[in-house]
Amino acid sequence: MKAIYKIALLAVASASLTACFDKSAPNYQYMPNMYEAVPYETYSEHAVFPNGKEGQMPAKGSIPRGFVPYEIPNTTEGYEASKANPSPLDSVGFDAPRAEQLFTIYCAICHGDKGDGKGNLPKREKFLGVPSYKDRVITEGSVFHVETYGLNAMGSHANQLTQEERWQVARHVMNLKSQL
Amino acid sequence: MSSHYEAPIRKPLIIGDKNYHDVTVDVARPVEGRANKQWWIAFSIALAAFLWGVGCVAYTVGTGIGTWGSNKTIGWAWDITNFVWWVGIGHAGTLISAVLLLFRQKWRMAINRSAEAMTIFSVIQAAMFPVFHMGRPWLAYWVMPIPNQFGSLWVNFNSPLLWDVFAISTYLSVSLVFWWTGLLPDFAMLRDRAITPFTKRVYSIVSFGWSGRAKDWQRFEEVSLVLAGLATPLVLSVHTIVSFDFATSVIPGWHTTILPPYFVAGAIFSGFAMVNTLLIIMRKVSNLEAYITIQHIELMNIIIMITGSIVGIAYITELFVAWYSGVEYEQYAFLNRATGPYWWSYALMMTCNVISPQVMWFKKIRTSIYVSFVISIVVNIGMWFERFVIIVTSLHRDYLPSSWTMFQPTFVDAGFFIGTIGFFFVLFLLYSRSFPVIAQAEVKSIMKTSSETYKKKWASEGHGHDNHSHSENNHH
Repeated sequence: MKAIYKIALLAVASASLTACFDKSAPNYQYMPNMYEAVPYETYSEHAVFPNGKEGQMPAKGSIPRGFVPYEIPNTTEGYEASKANPSPLDSVGFDAPRAEQLFTIYCAICHGDKGDGKGNLPKREKFLGVPSYKDRVITEGSVFHVETYGLNAMGSHANQLTQEERWQVARHVMNLKSQL
Repeated sequence: MSSHYEAPIRKPLIIGDKNYHDVTVDVARPVEGRANKQWWIAFSIALAAFLWGVGCVAYTVGTGIGTWGSNKTIGWAWDITNFVWWVGIGHAGTLISAVLLLFRQKWRMAINRSAEAMTIFSVIQAAMFPVFHMGRPWLAYWVMPIPNQFGSLWVNFNSPLLWDVFAISTYLSVSLVFWWTGLLPDFAMLRDRAITPFTKRVYSIVSFGWSGRAKDWQRFEEVSLVLAGLATPLVLSVHTIVSFDFATSVIPGWHTTILPPYFVAGAIFSGFAMVNTLLIIMRKVSNLEAYITIQHIELMNIIIMITGSIVGIAYITELFVAWYSGVEYEQYAFLNRATGPYWWSYALMMTCNVISPQVMWFKKIRTSIYVSFVISIVVNIGMWFERFVIIVTSLHRDYLPSSWTMFQPTFVDAGFFIGTIGFFFVLFLLYSRSFPVIAQAEVKSIMKTSSETYKKKWASEGHGHDNHSHSENNHH
């Protein structure tokens, strides 16, 4: 009887100690001394910023070190002009496995692994009208232009891919086109 | 009693015509009576000091260690000084109850209970400093090697500060058990004398149903002896470990192999002084002069004199080794102690610790209660300054002159220290009114060997020395 009483007491104690934990809310903390950041962390929200966001836009026209602005404008003429824009990559600079990986991550979902316009989303008819590379007149420069600005239904990928990566992908696209 | 041999040179330890019942009555009187006005005044003062200390500690924990006078160079100052001081004071209690038990010193019996109480209360004071000198005392439990969710992150067992944790906690718990075991027969005595149901109930609980059977006594004695055997190495190791906080460092003035025994000697020195301070008052206010006699005070004074001399030798050894070492940092550390900005604290320490115990060579002085009382306080002041000198003067000027600085305590430093003194006396005053302050069971066991009544009886009957030594001679 004494043992049962003790076990019951232990059960009540442990239940009362854990009962206040709410799965839908962050748990209680013991002395959160250095849990919250004193500096402004990336993506954090602070009232001190004009729109409350830590990520503020850089000044217009400023150029960070190691970055070359893309000068061709996002217009029809610009697109035509971009076709003559050469790739900065030489044969050594092109990294075929990495280019393929980047294409698989960012492009193949619509364009398909082979570039034939049969990616998962058009196949499942989430949307239609993704052309095959075979049917389009494209150069490495125009692919880079479209990756940078987007075209029609396609959005800009300049956020996801760096300039160098976009040139890698552009060459991969041209390789796929040659195999179609 | 003719078979008993007791050298007639030994003076009685229980004076006055006391029988067993008188001992009981004398010991129980402070517990059974009511506190007088002086007690309440003393208690109120102690309580006020304690509460002031609580406020200072709360302020420190709430605001930060920056409220103290410690700085970047002197990270340890009053906090650790007071810690070591209180631990040192605590050591005499165990010395009296354990070491003197091993040496079969009968005179310890009248003083061991209060000395142990003093140990426990002062170790409690000491234990507060390691916690509250932490920057984040709420994480103090991290010093324990407890399995946890940080991949079972453990403590590093290489730090003497961790050894301190083990030393102090073990010391407190063993002392508490030793003390309480000894209290059982005395609590039982109070239980059996209790006239109100409340006191009856309280003393029934704390005496654990002691009934004083032969088997109980036999085991009681063995436990006492085993605990004394355990407590003796413990008491030596605890203050040794405390001294390791300094001795294992690389600071000139700290890094010394002499520190462990020298700290222990200092602990006994200051502890006995504190016992003397307390007992000189207690024997008067609790009317225990028949048990805590001038002989007890004299013997404690002799121990103070011996340990004071050991401490004095240690000081001289340190100075000699500093000179002999050829290490200019070490030499400067001692030059700085003697002639630097804290020369007065070094001078005070030297005067109080080296000169004051030497007056005990004079019988007239060591048998004077007033002088003993004054010296006992002087010794504790000196021993406080010893810790202060070792800690602060070594830190404030060491390797890099660019890091030399001074230490200035704040009122919070002082308030915490005053608070621990207040807390100590709160506990001790409460103890003296609710606990049997003399181990009456032990004192009764020496009644027939060391009380004045029996000594007189043998002298008049012609027993004892002469008769017995004849029979001794016949045997050989």
